[in-house]
Amino acid sequence: MAKDPTAAFFAALAERGHEPLLQSESGTIRFDARDGRRTEHWYITLKKGDVAVSHKNADANTVVRLDKATLDALVTGRANATTAVLRGELEFEGDLGLVMSFQRLFPAPPKSVYARRIK
Amino acid sequence: MSEGLVQILEGNTFVVSDRNGDIDASPVDATGLFSFDTRFLSKWVLTIDGERLNALSTDDLHYYETRFFLVPGTGTVYIDAKLSVIRQRVVGRGFSEQLTILNHDDKPVSLEVRLEAASDFADLFEVKDQLKKKGDYHNRADRGRLVLGYRREGFDRETWITSSATAKIDVQGLTFKVKVEPHGSWTTALEVVTASVAAAKVLASTTARPRARPSLARGLDKWLGKAPVLESSSDSLRATYHRSLVDLAALRFETLTLPGKSLPAAGLPWFMTLFGRDSIFTSLQALPFTPELASSTLQALGERQGTRVDDFRDEDPGRILHEMRFGEMTAFEERPHSPYYGCVDATPLFVVLLDEYERWTGDTKLVRDLEFEARAALNWIDEYADLQGNGYISYKRRNERTGLENQCWKDSWDSISYRDGRLPGFPRATAELQGYAYDAKVRAARLARLVWKDPAFADRLEAEAADLKRRFNDDFWVEDGEYFAIALDVDGSQVDALTSNNGHLLWSGIVEKSKAKAVAGHLLGERLFSGWGVRTMAEGEGRYNPIGYHVGTVWPYDNSFIAWGLRRYGFKEEAAQVASGILDAADFFAGRLPEAFGGYPREMTRYPVQYPTACSPQAWSTGAPLLLLRAMLGLEPIGDHLIVDPALPDSIDHVALLDIPGRWGRIDAFGRGRLEMAKS
Repeated sequence: MAKDPTAAFFAALAERGHEPLLQSESGTIRFDARDGRRTEHWYITLKKGDVAVSHKNADANTVVRLDKATLDALVTGRANATTAVLRGELEFEGDLGLVMSFQRLFPAPPKSVYARRIK
Repeated sequence: MSEGLVQILEGNTFVVSDRNGDIDASPVDATGLFSFDTRFLSKWVLTIDGERLNALSTDDLHYYETRFFLVPGTGTVYIDAKLSVIRQRVVGRGFSEQLTILNHDDKPVSLEVRLEAASDFADLFEVKDQLKKKGDYHNRADRGRLVLGYRREGFDRETWITSSATAKIDVQGLTFKVKVEPHGSWTTALEVVTASVAAAKVLASTTARPRARPSLARGLDKWLGKAPVLESSSDSLRATYHRSLVDLAALRFETLTLPGKSLPAAGLPWFMTLFGRDSIFTSLQALPFTPELASSTLQALGERQGTRVDDFRDEDPGRILHEMRFGEMTAFEERPHSPYYGCVDATPLFVVLLDEYERWTGDTKLVRDLEFEARAALNWIDEYADLQGNGYISYKRRNERTGLENQCWKDSWDSISYRDGRLPGFPRATAELQGYAYDAKVRAARLARLVWKDPAFADRLEAEAADLKRRFNDDFWVEDGEYFAIALDVDGSQVDALTSNNGHLLWSGIVEKSKAKAVAGHLLGERLFSGWGVRTMAEGEGRYNPIGYHVGTVWPYDNSFIAWGLRRYGFKEEAAQVASGILDAADFFAGRLPEAFGGYPREMTRYPVQYPTACSPQAWSTGAPLLLLRAMLGLEPIGDHLIVDPALPDSIDHVALLDIPGRWGRIDAFGRGRLEMAKS
């Protein structure tokens, strides 16, 4: 695992620059990740599947608040966004559809190994 | 659900109480106030001077509103008629209850009115399986408010209870010291609010909003007003049609991401949630009547389409979900419903619904918007569902602890069998799945040409469909019986029981013309047709049982698609026969068809014997009369026109369906009953 999984995840996302899974989404999501007394802000701007990542202050359509540890777990597939919301580990305000779409990018649980052809 | 319980609901919030309006749940008793798959009240008992009350009458005013007329004194013949009590309850975000006490005497009366309240915050799954809670309870009497609470880590749920009249509040309820003047009355408005503390912003912001009573009533009137008007000489048909529309209204719910748009849940009350299969089938049945259900179903399922390989949830990229839940066991991943994807028919049916929706509405925008999702679904059929690499969809769960073993609509343990009753192993490639895959490819080819402007993709899909049809008609055809096997087993051998799945094959179009007559003959033959409808499994098969869930009962939903299938191959009379039998049966249930009824021969019982199920109304049973109407009238959209080609049983003198919505605007359809039906 990368030292900072969240930074690695967003760096890879910025690198790809385009996500077909998000092609119908436009808007900005701000992640507020609490780490002790510090809060990291990540701004993810979507334009019909084009993705830009920054730390720069911008208007957000959706704000997601969570612990850095939770975000690390989400971006490595160790936690699931839907159940994290139900457990109260993740709060958000604004456009719910945007987060719903964005969570599609989080990876599968690490232990899921799918043998496609069962014989 | 047992007799005498009353249910009212709005969205996924509902109340199950006894006929007095009381809730007094035991671990096995499923009464309560439920919201988002959690029980928020397990006790709500009204007493006057320490005595429970006696119900004179209970009126379901609307699906969301009930009124209980009560008098003091229980269990005796004597009724003290000097007091009456009225509880009027409306479900919203929790419920509101107007409690009124009338004094009919000419003397004043002093009373102690008490409402006992408690909550176990059980997950719906816990109610079913009687599991023990893992978190802690915290109840408190705040200023003017009773708070019942439950917390497990960050999973925080509360019930807030307030009263307009002054009450003495303790942690177990509210007490009122009441004096009612001669011929006077006393009243209080009680509010019970369900609150998810941490997730409050999410859960409360877009759904389960408290809606004012007039708005709920207006909503229902508007819904009925938008649907086509049915005129007929048959009182029974008109009553069934009206019942179907009202029940369909009650079954609607909103998802968090599509506020203002409603889609059909699977059943009331326990299945008030998004189910891939049930929501799609119901939307298909209702398309000629309320096409907006299809549009919101497609969007909601598209948003939650699988994107990763997740064994716990049986999720794959492109797969359409099976079931979505929000309770504690889902939250802590003790159940996989967040959402669970273990269902193999919903994915091809998603594409089928998208095409059928466009054929009725001409809404090419939605087809464009969902191009990515539709392509992912088609890719899933070839890349993820073909478990054995033999070109057929089959299923085998990867979540072996809490996943579903049977992932087709006949999902009971013994539904798929050989003639001699043996059960095949897994994976199982059931027949109807191949039909749906065929239909999905043929229909997607049309959309690819028309909307996605990708003729090469269309050619490929058509070639694959033709190949699938050829192989299927060889591999699944039971030569000595002249019908299609219910499945292929792991060895590719036929699982050869004769079942109603043959009807779904006609609907899908995968059946070669030369074989259709024999198939229709079986469906209307003595072994499958009971006189009321087509049995799930034919009489004479090893596992046949007229009251076996999927091995002999008659399912109205199943029959509605069989009737559509018969029409597709030109068997008008046979379709009318099936429609006539099911609609006759509906009459015995006051227009509300159960999920299933017994497969006994009609001449033996003379009435359809209901199979006991937990949910009523069930969405796809509610939709069945609608699809049967379509089949009888022969409604078929061709280009910008609606073809009407009626074939009605003689029990219905005439039918007029006015203002059928679609790409043509609004069109009327008329038909006269001319076909004589054998009453068997």
